[in-house]
Amino acid sequence: MTIAPELAEPVLEELRQVLGDEHVLTGKAARFNRARVPAPFPVHRWAERVPDLVVLPGSTAEVSEVVRIANAHRIPIVPRDGGTGLTDGAVPLRHGIVVDVKRMNDIKEIDEVNRTCTVGTGINMLKLNEVLGKYGLIYPDDPASYPCSLVGGRIGTSGWSLIGSRYGHSRDLVLSFDFVLPSGKVIHLGDGAGHKLSKSSSGYQLKHLFMGHQGTLGIATEATLKLFPKPEAELSPFFAFPDYDSAYRTVGQLARAGVATFAGAVLFDEWKVDYLRRDDEAYISQPADVRALVCAVAYGYEDEVIAGGRRLMRIAKENGARYLGDEVSEGDWAARHDRYATPLHGRTKAGQVVPMSWHCEDAAINYSNLPQVRIEWHEIVRKLRERFDMFDDWGMFTYTSANTGVDYLAEIDVGIWEQQLDDESWAAWVQAKKDIAAVALHYGGSISACHGSCREGEVDLVPQELGGGYDVMLDVKRAIDPNNIMNPGKYGLDRAYQLDEGVGR
Amino acid sequence: MTDMTHHEADTSPSANGDGSTEEFVEQWRNAAYNCFSSGHKFCREVCPVMQVTRNESWTPTAFHANVVAMEKGELEIADIAEDYVNCTGCGACELRCPNTLFTGDFYRFRTRTVDLVKAVRALAVDNDVHQQGWQRWNLLTDERTHEPVLGDTPVSQEHVRDWSDGLNIPVGGETILFVDCEAAFYRTSVPRAVAQLLQRAGYEFGLMNEQWCCGGPAAEMGYLEQSKRFARHNLDDWRANGVQRVLVLDPHDYITFTEDYPKYFGADYEIEIVLVVELLAEMIRDGRLNPTIPIERTITYHDPCRLNKRKGVWKEPREILSAIPGLVFNDVDRVTQWSYCSGGGGGLPIEKPELTAKISESRVDKAAELGVDTLVSACPWSERPLSEAGDAKQIDVIDIHELLAESLGIEVGGRRGE
Repeated sequence: MTIAPELAEPVLEELRQVLGDEHVLTGKAARFNRARVPAPFPVHRWAERVPDLVVLPGSTAEVSEVVRIANAHRIPIVPRDGGTGLTDGAVPLRHGIVVDVKRMNDIKEIDEVNRTCTVGTGINMLKLNEVLGKYGLIYPDDPASYPCSLVGGRIGTSGWSLIGSRYGHSRDLVLSFDFVLPSGKVIHLGDGAGHKLSKSSSGYQLKHLFMGHQGTLGIATEATLKLFPKPEAELSPFFAFPDYDSAYRTVGQLARAGVATFAGAVLFDEWKVDYLRRDDEAYISQPADVRALVCAVAYGYEDEVIAGGRRLMRIAKENGARYLGDEVSEGDWAARHDRYATPLHGRTKAGQVVPMSWHCEDAAINYSNLPQVRIEWHEIVRKLRERFDMFDDWGMFTYTSANTGVDYLAEIDVGIWEQQLDDESWAAWVQAKKDIAAVALHYGGSISACHGSCREGEVDLVPQELGGGYDVMLDVKRAIDPNNIMNPGKYGLDRAYQLDEGVGR
Repeated sequence: MTDMTHHEADTSPSANGDGSTEEFVEQWRNAAYNCFSSGHKFCREVCPVMQVTRNESWTPTAFHANVVAMEKGELEIADIAEDYVNCTGCGACELRCPNTLFTGDFYRFRTRTVDLVKAVRALAVDNDVHQQGWQRWNLLTDERTHEPVLGDTPVSQEHVRDWSDGLNIPVGGETILFVDCEAAFYRTSVPRAVAQLLQRAGYEFGLMNEQWCCGGPAAEMGYLEQSKRFARHNLDDWRANGVQRVLVLDPHDYITFTEDYPKYFGADYEIEIVLVVELLAEMIRDGRLNPTIPIERTITYHDPCRLNKRKGVWKEPREILSAIPGLVFNDVDRVTQWSYCSGGGGGLPIEKPELTAKISESRVDKAAELGVDTLVSACPWSERPLSEAGDAKQIDVIDIHELLAESLGIEVGGRRGE
């Protein structure tokens, strides 16, 4: 592959002037390694996703200059932070320049009085918390990718946090941020002139608009974050149930109880327990009559966690839960949370162990609709597996999203033997994703609580989910990015430009 | 964890011969795919190179993904060889990998990034893709039988025992002390301390008859044929002189003698390898050494990567330090230290001294936060870059053997570098 003509000298030279030679990468390996994220990836079509160039800016000003140059030359830009997302936000669809912000990982300020910190968006939350811990503080944005995802990616995807029921999710925790628009102009988004407010009612509330756009509107470069006291106590009881229904009933009551230290609950369905039994060496095995599990988590000061914990334990017991004991509870939570263990293999229909990529399709679903969504999702995956042996149903997790029990992140985990993918099986996978998304919408949910919804398949249904809102998305996209340079090809936003050519909505 | 696959998977059949990419890919494809399909990247923020460069091309994830891309015919060895310079071989990524943590127990599998990096470097050399600094380094090592650790000042066979001047150590015997190139020529205070500690404890040992470089660094940089040649020489010399036991003070040697040599020589390899720091801890435990002179320093201990991360040796150095009176010891636990490194390993300082310096600065910064005046290490190769970084922060970098010797009233002598 050669570099696209518009990227030849003198554009390359311009970029080198801004960034220094060592931060403009043209090598093949550098580009191939910024073509993918952990989402299922058509390995046989890798070359189609490879950017022409990678730049590693070190400041907001440098990002701004790079974007300005790209815009002037109409070169696509793909922002890349941790590259750990599951919706391909950081995957280049039109080649161009990948702007990798990992070098921008400074902690610029820790404001102990107002409980905020200001950081470069290339910083990882675990690394940030290593520093904040010395001040007795924590930034509790806690996704599965906590050890490796970056603050900027959390902004770009409007991330979901495992302990968000207590502390809020990325959109609540990020107070404000500096943002480079597709023109190269730098603006500040969030409440207040001083960047440290959690609530104002002045002007349009633009912060949410510029979160979760999957890099289609620009690049966040510096963020001010809300901090909490580092919790002194953690409680993570695991409960076993003989069937899904009683586990489902319990998780609902735990979430609705209004316990202040309640940080989240996780429900493992029968397929998940079967899978863990079958293939997860980290799973602490339980008697065969255990068919479903619930884990509740509470964080806070020791006295309040003990008091809240008593209430949670009582609710579980009243619903027929069997507490699995402290050892299993602490061990399993550590395995699933601290290390986010997931087996990296599945089975063919014949039972052969094969290396598989873990993939999870997520949706936001109201509590009352979870059981039916679950049945329909498993059926979709069953049919897929029937046709193609490289897919395996790894069961479902369901997590609370909020402290009232209103909605849940439902995920179905599918093992994919990517090495075996070809065009036919890939197409079937894309269709299955679309079907999974359609079920979520049918039950009044959202295609995604967590990852975003801009991949092939589900992306077709985004207009349906957003109703008239999707047309506003198109208008916003065209107004902010008139040349469609910012992560083009995502979210079907190319349609915004086809309007000029007389194509109706 | 038992690693059943380790030996058979790491025989590098074609290294420095007819290195074929197909054969290499065949050997590494499943391991590479195990990483590729995970995509977790939990290794990233513990990687010392990543921490200072933030360049995703130089991560364990990329190192594995490249193999998948090679299998797909998208990349060739010439496209990737240079990236693999950026690894100190510390092994942190392997410990942090979910594949090692979990799948390992079940399938006897572990992620072996360090071996993969070595294998790619060897494949590069096989295909005449050289890194200039490494090529020159190994050429000079080959000429002089020792690494050119003194820069323009030549090292040579005649001078390899100079460090022991005046210590009256015999040559030969069943037990010999093997001194790595850095300690033998550059930080001579370390082997002098070790030798005098052993003498103080009444432990009998000699020096090697004709000691060459262990060959480990050549293997790390991809010059496997040379590494094997050096290993062969050393083993032949040991056997010819009736050596049964080799004492090593350098963690890098310890890896070479306990991991590379058994691979080279198979079941015939009969030499017992003893790590001095473990021996000394034992001597303190059973009263053969009794440090009594107080050392008024506030210290922290740097877990050498090859001891802590790769060999699980972290307890004995702490035992030794705890036995020295007068020390204020602000310890940092071994797991936190998975993400620490001096940057001195894996040939990095030869090709990218600026990265080694940054990694060492970052390590010394962490020591400085603890309010210490001294950073104690147990690895001569870490002590040069750490000392350079320590100078800027008024933190003294001292070897654990030097410190113990001082507490026993031993006048060590020699040089702590230049």
